[in-house]
Amino acid sequence: MSATPSPAPAAPLVSPQTPPAETGKSCPAPFLYLIGASVLWLLVASLLGLIASLKFHAPDFLAGQPYWTYGRVHAAQSAALLYGFGVLAALGVGLWLLCRLGRASLAGPCVVLLGTFFWNLALTIGIAAILCGDSTGYDAFEMPAYCAPMLFAAYLMIGVCGLLTFHQRQEGRLYPSQWFVLGSIFWFPWIFSTAALLLLERPARGVLQPLIAWWYARNLSTVFLGFAGLAPVFYFIPKLLGRPLHSYYLAALAFWTLALFGSWGGIPEGAPLPSWIVSLGVVGTVMTAVPLLAVAANFCQTVRHDLNALDANPTLRFTYVGLMFWFIAGAQQIAGALPNVSAITGFTWFGAAQKEMFHCGFFALSIFGAFYYIVPRLLELEESAWCPRLVKAHFYLTFLGVLISCLSLLVCGVGQGILLADPRHTFPEVMKNTMFPLRVSTLGDLCVVVGTILFLLNFARLLARACCRYCAAFPSAKPKEGA
Amino acid sequence: MNSGPLLFLGLFVTMACSWLSFVLGPQLQIGHLTQTNTVVVGEASPQTYPLAQPGAARQGAEVYRANGCAACHTEMVRPLELGSDLHRGWGARRSLAEDYLFDQPVMLGAQRIGPDLSNYGRRTDLIGVLLRLYDPPLITPGSIMPSYRYLFDTRKIQQFPSRDALVLPSEIAPAAGYEVVPRPQALALAAYLLSLRQEGYLFEAPPPPLQTNAAPVRAKTAAK
Amino acid sequence: MSPNDPKQAVQKNGAEPVAGFAAVPLWLIVVFGGLFYWSQLYLDGHAGGFNAAVYAPYRSFEQVAAVNPQDPGARKRAMGREVFEKTCAACHQLTGLGKEGVAPPLVGSEWVLAPGGGRIARVVLNGLTGPITVKGQDWNLTMPPWRDNFDDEHLAAVLTYIRSRLGDNKAADIDPALVKAARAESHPGPETTEELLKIPLQ
Repeated sequence: MSATPSPAPAAPLVSPQTPPAETGKSCPAPFLYLIGASVLWLLVASLLGLIASLKFHAPDFLAGQPYWTYGRVHAAQSAALLYGFGVLAALGVGLWLLCRLGRASLAGPCVVLLGTFFWNLALTIGIAAILCGDSTGYDAFEMPAYCAPMLFAAYLMIGVCGLLTFHQRQEGRLYPSQWFVLGSIFWFPWIFSTAALLLLERPARGVLQPLIAWWYARNLSTVFLGFAGLAPVFYFIPKLLGRPLHSYYLAALAFWTLALFGSWGGIPEGAPLPSWIVSLGVVGTVMTAVPLLAVAANFCQTVRHDLNALDANPTLRFTYVGLMFWFIAGAQQIAGALPNVSAITGFTWFGAAQKEMFHCGFFALSIFGAFYYIVPRLLELEESAWCPRLVKAHFYLTFLGVLISCLSLLVCGVGQGILLADPRHTFPEVMKNTMFPLRVSTLGDLCVVVGTILFLLNFARLLARACCRYCAAFPSAKPKEGA
Repeated sequence: MNSGPLLFLGLFVTMACSWLSFVLGPQLQIGHLTQTNTVVVGEASPQTYPLAQPGAARQGAEVYRANGCAACHTEMVRPLELGSDLHRGWGARRSLAEDYLFDQPVMLGAQRIGPDLSNYGRRTDLIGVLLRLYDPPLITPGSIMPSYRYLFDTRKIQQFPSRDALVLPSEIAPAAGYEVVPRPQALALAAYLLSLRQEGYLFEAPPPPLQTNAAPVRAKTAAK
Repeated sequence: MSPNDPKQAVQKNGAEPVAGFAAVPLWLIVVFGGLFYWSQLYLDGHAGGFNAAVYAPYRSFEQVAAVNPQDPGARKRAMGREVFEKTCAACHQLTGLGKEGVAPPLVGSEWVLAPGGGRIARVVLNGLTGPITVKGQDWNLTMPPWRDNFDDEHLAAVLTYIRSRLGDNKAADIDPALVKAARAESHPGPETTEELLKIPLQ
């Protein structure tokens, strides 16, 4: 990497590759299963989130039964969002990108299907267990110990197929998206096995448990889901704009610094740990400014001339706005890690706002952008098969819903923190003041739920159309009129 | 960066950096903590800290975990400069690693939708805890804490009212002839909550310097 | 390479994206270096030398060791404070101001501040029951005895703490010998006001 800008190389900016349609065609079923399951889990998570959200306004809503108490619903929602939507969508889009960019067909589609099935099974058992009171007590790792082996095995099945697909690639040169996908595929088993072994199998002593849980949660979100969400951004924005990605080197810098610093952190200030551990977390989180800036610089140059075109295509719209939310969530995370800020915002709604911005803002939007591109191609339909009004509604509902929800939680958190910093304000008094922004954020959550339902309707419509076309392609037993 | 194996190696190294710093390093340093003698002083009768929780409290920790109490409550007191925890009386000192030695799982919580509970055992008693679990607005008007009535039984009074029956105000008391009795889960949870206290000043969190009782220095008045 | 109409640039099934080879901008490298430098300074100041005994807000092991009570007087005060906060504060409150129906105040209490300390030492050793007037208010509660829970040194330390450090109390320290002498008088059952008044003030 040279520090001085060099003149653009003579290599062609758009290389004449063979169009993907002619390369090895993958069986669409595994991708459709992964994508469909992930969106269904997102719906489940959103509904659970809505129930949890409503309990703030009516604490005795569904409080008669232990299954729906806030603590359990919150844990179940987190599990469904991260492991149902997050992991499955990451794998679905990631594997598709590996096939596309490597110009290979998916290796072992049946194994992927089986793996997805077992993942869904383990997740269902896990969420039911959480609602029945078997959660582990660790944030972002609530599913009980007996689900972990099945989850791990299912992931390995899918992940290994992904690696084999990568191995069978025909294109020697790697595009940055492939690094991100590979990064996410490798990262998950390492962090998951560490957490499962040191939290469930042979629990570490005392305060090391929450330390490992925090480390795992940070890795799962910032690194695993970060990689998985950035891969489609790096792929679709340059591709659909017809421009090259501005800098390969900036992408490499972003990738490695995100891998290195993204995983250092997640430990709240004031945690009962020696100060060096907390300080390393602060330092790592602040250093994640480097990948943020690297990606910003890269895309700023890439899309500079085509800002109008970003609106032309749903995929572009979703992925670009998703990227913007990634910057906001990243900046918020950095701000929240600084001790001066954390003294005010620690343990308030500020953290929840940042997580929602990251998962429902950045990751969901970026992944949906990928879905809007991938699904018609899997079903061999045109992109115009999506109902444009539903797409538009989905976008605005999700975008506005996330914005409303996160902004109100942010305001709520900062206000709550400022009030709590003064011990003269009693705790109940402060909580009363948070009620109004919470109501607004519930409204935002509702918008997101509706948006997801609209996407499912659209998705079902596409599936139906593909089904009809598939059935029509075969000569049926009954003679068709005028066929 | 076109080589799969090199990519794997690079990822492994970055993961290892993080793992060594946050998993192995702390384990080597504080992974084998044992009970310590409380306070810097008191050689005459040193007391070990922490003490293992009694059985009912261990069971109560399971109830705490199963109902996701950590979703709203934290169990860690921040130091003076990092929040108003100490000023609010949530503890006499900040929380340390030793405080959680015997807990499993250690549920420190992530958000304070409800107050911190590290020293809850010092602030309340059994009746207060049970009443709050049954009907939180009774103890804290306007509270958004959900009620945990499923931890209680509303049953017909047998020959004599139960010794454990809750005394409730008329608005929420059960019908005549019925009483509300805590289930073993509720009693276990109460035992756990009452056991929550972080005692003594340890070496890592010594007592803050006391104000001296010297007479306040009066500003010199103008010469008469 | 960019067509005039931006919308035509959006390709539906076009070629795969490629990456250009623009260099990493200098400003980013400077920022990276600056952040790295800041992080080292931060770790220098806040990592406590990577010592397991250094917790925020302390910056180094030496600082923690220095803040820990050093001289015997400080150690005695710390001991007394600890006993008070762990045991007495449950009823008399951390502030020592007492609570209606639970325990009378200790701050400004004439019984606590009485010269000599013989009366208050016996209250703590043997407990107290029956009516008593503290700061003009009548109380009629029962305080348990503590002679079996603490040794003379601890009782002397907590009495010293209550008499000289609680609220704005200012009275002389209590010696463990005084507690020992008071303990030697066998006194079955708690004290009462009449018995206490018989104890001479020194």
